Amino acid sequence: MPESPAAAPRRGISLDVYAVALSLLLALLVRLNLIPAVKW
Amino acid sequence: MATSLSSTQPLSLAGPIGFVRRILALVPGLLLLVAVGYAGKFIEQSIARYTKSHHITFPNIEYVLWAIVIGLVIANTVGIPRVFQAGVATYEFWLKAGIVLLGSRFLLGDVLHLGGISLFLVAIALTLSLTFMHLLGRTFKLKPKLTSLLAVGSAICGVSAIIAAKPAIDADDEDASYAIAAILALGAISLFTFPLIGHSLHLSDKAYGLWAGLAVDNTAEATAAGALYSDAAAKVAVLAKTTRNALIGFIVLAYALYWASRGQAKEVGNKAVFLWRKFPKFVLGFLLISLLATLAVFTKPQLTSLANLSRWAFLLTFAGVGLRTNLRELGKQGWRPFAVGAIGEVFIALVTLGLVFGADRFLPL
Repeated sequence: MPESPAAAPRRGISLDVYAVALSLLLALLVRLNLIPAVKW
Repeated sequence: MATSLSSTQPLSLAGPIGFVRRILALVPGLLLLVAVGYAGKFIEQSIARYTKSHHITFPNIEYVLWAIVIGLVIANTVGIPRVFQAGVATYEFWLKAGIVLLGSRFLLGDVLHLGGISLFLVAIALTLSLTFMHLLGRTFKLKPKLTSLLAVGSAICGVSAIIAAKPAIDADDEDASYAIAAILALGAISLFTFPLIGHSLHLSDKAYGLWAGLAVDNTAEATAAGALYSDAAAKVAVLAKTTRNALIGFIVLAYALYWASRGQAKEVGNKAVFLWRKFPKFVLGFLLISLLATLAVFTKPQLTSLANLSRWAFLLTFAGVGLRTNLRELGKQGWRPFAVGAIGEVFIALVTLGLVFGADRFLPL
């Protein structure tokens, strides 16, 4: 049983910041055409 | 119960080796998310191809529903082995990345316009919901702090709001677990009921998206409920839900001040710091990408790529929604928190539906 999120310690960088950082990195790679067109 | 990472739960980076080990521990669960999500997409496409080639009329069942159902079946039959759990819990990370990237599909003007309408409706809905939930809690004789958690969870943004409020009002772990279980169960029910009600009322994509964003608790479920209706509805649902999420700090601060004034929680120090800590930072990322798209920083094909990256991120999220829902665990909670949550949810759904009908008629959606 994993740790309850309610009891999780709260320190360090939040998940949101990592999600924003990854998204901005992907946006930069797309802008500079460093990754091929992403299909759905 | 399978648990989720919250918007405020940090990743510990205890040295580079620890970091690499933590990343490696995510791989099995991540692969499971990809497999379940892709299976959902594959089933939708296969059925569409088969029915088209055989000239069969069959309603299109979206990949969203398939991914959630496959996840639910796995989680509630064979279960999720421990080795997969950390990776599966990243679904909320993908949700946030997906929302930030979705900013590329909005011009900033649209965000301000729809966000402004959402904010107005959220303020009315919040006031009514919080008042009603507290009346219900008193009627059902729930512990006051459990009622506060349920009220925050159902009025703002589900599990994340409960996790943000729990330390601020010094609530018990048990109360938080009850409230989270009730909110997760109700979120799962909304997923299946909202699209049915929306279709039966012939709601437009915008009206339905606004309704789902205002009424469904968890951001993942609100996004999925929108996507089950249409792509356009999902877009509006995410925007409305993000507006709601942005208010989390203010509501949690109000509760923290209330419980501190009664001597049952710690005093709040610097309120601006408190608000910033509770503010969901992904909202800023969403606005930034939207601003860049508005300033024509990206070409049209690049915007398509960003929108598709957002869809892939949401695919992992929807797989995670099914995989983390353990129906047996949800059934183990006491009936009273669930009853309060359920009655509150029906009330919120009706109030927000009325607001959306009003907005559809009197405001330019």
